Amino acid sequence: MTPKACKITLDQWNKQYELLCSSGIKQPDYGGTLGRHFEDGDTRLRTLQFDNSAAALRLWNFLLTENERLHKARANGKKIVGTMKDLGTIPVMVYALQNAIAFYPDGAWWTPCIMETNEGLFKITDSLGIDESFCPVRAMLGAFLNEEHFPVADILICSTGAVCDDFSAIAQRLESLGFKINWWEMPHRRKADKNQDSINLPGGFSTPATQIEFVKSELENIRSLLETLTGEKLTDQKLIKVIAKANVVRGLLAELRHIVFTAQINPLPALEMLIAEMLAIHFCSDIGETILVLQDLLKEAKLRIANKEGVSNKNAAKIFWVNPVADLKAMNLLEECGGRVCGTDYLFTHALDTIPTDIAPMEALAQMALADGMAGSSFDRAERICQDIEKFGSEAIIISRIPGASHCAIEGTIIADIVKQRLRIPTLEIEIPTLSDGLQQPIKNRIEALIEVVLQRRQK
Amino acid sequence: MICAGIDAGSRAIKIALIDADNSTIIATDVTDQGVAQENLAKNLFENILKKNSISRKEIGAVIATGYGRNAISFADKTITEITCHAAGVKHFIPDVRAIIDIGGQDSKLIRLNENGCIEDFAMNDRCAAGTGCFLEMVSKKLSLTLHLLGAVAKESKKPASISSMCVVFAETEIVGLMAEQRSPADIVCGVQNAIASRILSMAGRNMPTEIIFTGGVAMINGMDTAIQKTFERPVKISPQPQMTGAIGAAILAIKHYKTTSN
Repeated sequence: MTPKACKITLDQWNKQYELLCSSGIKQPDYGGTLGRHFEDGDTRLRTLQFDNSAAALRLWNFLLTENERLHKARANGKKIVGTMKDLGTIPVMVYALQNAIAFYPDGAWWTPCIMETNEGLFKITDSLGIDESFCPVRAMLGAFLNEEHFPVADILICSTGAVCDDFSAIAQRLESLGFKINWWEMPHRRKADKNQDSINLPGGFSTPATQIEFVKSELENIRSLLETLTGEKLTDQKLIKVIAKANVVRGLLAELRHIVFTAQINPLPALEMLIAEMLAIHFCSDIGETILVLQDLLKEAKLRIANKEGVSNKNAAKIFWVNPVADLKAMNLLEECGGRVCGTDYLFTHALDTIPTDIAPMEALAQMALADGMAGSSFDRAERICQDIEKFGSEAIIISRIPGASHCAIEGTIIADIVKQRLRIPTLEIEIPTLSDGLQQPIKNRIEALIEVVLQRRQK
Repeated sequence: MICAGIDAGSRAIKIALIDADNSTIIATDVTDQGVAQENLAKNLFENILKKNSISRKEIGAVIATGYGRNAISFADKTITEITCHAAGVKHFIPDVRAIIDIGGQDSKLIRLNENGCIEDFAMNDRCAAGTGCFLEMVSKKLSLTLHLLGAVAKESKKPASISSMCVVFAETEIVGLMAEQRSPADIVCGVQNAIASRILSMAGRNMPTEIIFTGGVAMINGMDTAIQKTFERPVKISPQPQMTGAIGAAILAIKHYKTTSN
């Protein structure tokens, strides 16, 4: 049984779950009701609107059971690797190994949002001198200390340099508390000088060959660390195999994004699409299952498009959304206001690009790392955003700021200016705090105004 | 047929009635905002009808705008202040290209293209530093009434330098300036300049040559001059600046009425 596409509350999901079960859906071992995830008081999920498909249920259950998966992996003797400030490079290396599993501690930044009652994380970080002037990713620090959201990793690997100042500061605080961190450095991506060899990167950027060599040497250090940890050789052959698998994930996401963003009627909600995209950078601790989850979503989206059904009005304003939101409710809000997401840049667009397979694997991974939007200039990022806006036919852009995040403080304005100049579409910069309840009205007001402007422009 | 626009702002509720046949403004009125927002708006609506001997049946459509617009259940439709202010200013100044609206709680900058269509807009984010709230705070601190601020600011010899980033920090700065015995004129003028700076930072580049200033704060003397100096371009106050949103809502109510009654 395929239910008609719509968004439903967590309470409505209980009924929907019964219907799906009676229709005989097959569920993975982490399946079950969505409701069980708030039985411990995480009432925040009650305020969200979810997609009603079995594919969405699988996605949410996959996301919300990562902690259990990690503990299970440890019990089975696997080594747990915490890959911090890493948008899709080290996890690929880790999954080449039989005996290791990677996770993304930074993902804890959504914990206070998803788990409203669990404000304890911010209290812990406040007490450690990392207050709200820092990015909400500081929640990770509390999660390391209370050990309620992920197990302590066997090894922590963190990039620093041209990535995020806030994150480096928070990670250094973590290290000062006795959590050993293995750092690797990301240089600021630049164009080659006249006398230097220039290498083209995925995403349309370029960099001097020397920068590739440098990042490759940093990744070689990580390769040695992982080999020592697991006692297993991390060969190029193993890397080639895992890169192919990672490219399956990226390919599925590329297809999903394309069909969802360009469909006449939006087949999947912005919230589920955001969660799905996030899988590209860390695979939610299971790369194989990530592929199955994405295949289900893609199948559902295709079915809905074929049936001409979806979750937004067909006249919904097409919005390009920049930066992930700390409060997931914002994605629901856009659709409530009459918009739909048609294009995104959640700070990791490079992790959606195919990893080159015609060069040595470590070279390919170094290229991918350097293609990171955050490692280059804001101008580069804006250029790519402009290309994607044109590709998806977005009618306006929302640039959501993350409070306290140093990589976003002025970048939003730079991107807005470039998009306005190049494409002459309306832009909106908004700040979305971790719990935006008190600011829902002003945020809604701004989004509604943007959508009115889009609709007026269609008439002229 | 007559159409009505109601602008439920953070400090005041404004209403305008417009003749749908010739777009002339029949009447406007204003009352303070309060807790029972819908009742206040309803009373304002009923009173303006009564004062002008108009029956409810003669009203073709009502459009509500402003931050409290969703509380007005008797409105036929709600539209944001951005669209309503643009429509209101265009009613008086058809070739307007840039509007600054400063209200009690927020400030907006609206750019329109050559066809009078909104091209882009910006609004203050979380801080009230670029809004009328800043002026209310300084008037309380200096024990001055709001309408006197302009006259006081005019006497300033050397405007104080005040942070434009945060009203709460600015309040501390003002306490410090008062302790230094800086004149109220210099403090008020400094606050007006800080508000203008905040709006400038919101505006970014490519501002049109002339700016139309609207919203309740436009009625405070000296604010137009502060904006003019900061933006380095002419600033004209829109006719009936406090009413612009309500007038725009009434104009859009005419369109709504004509579309839905056909």
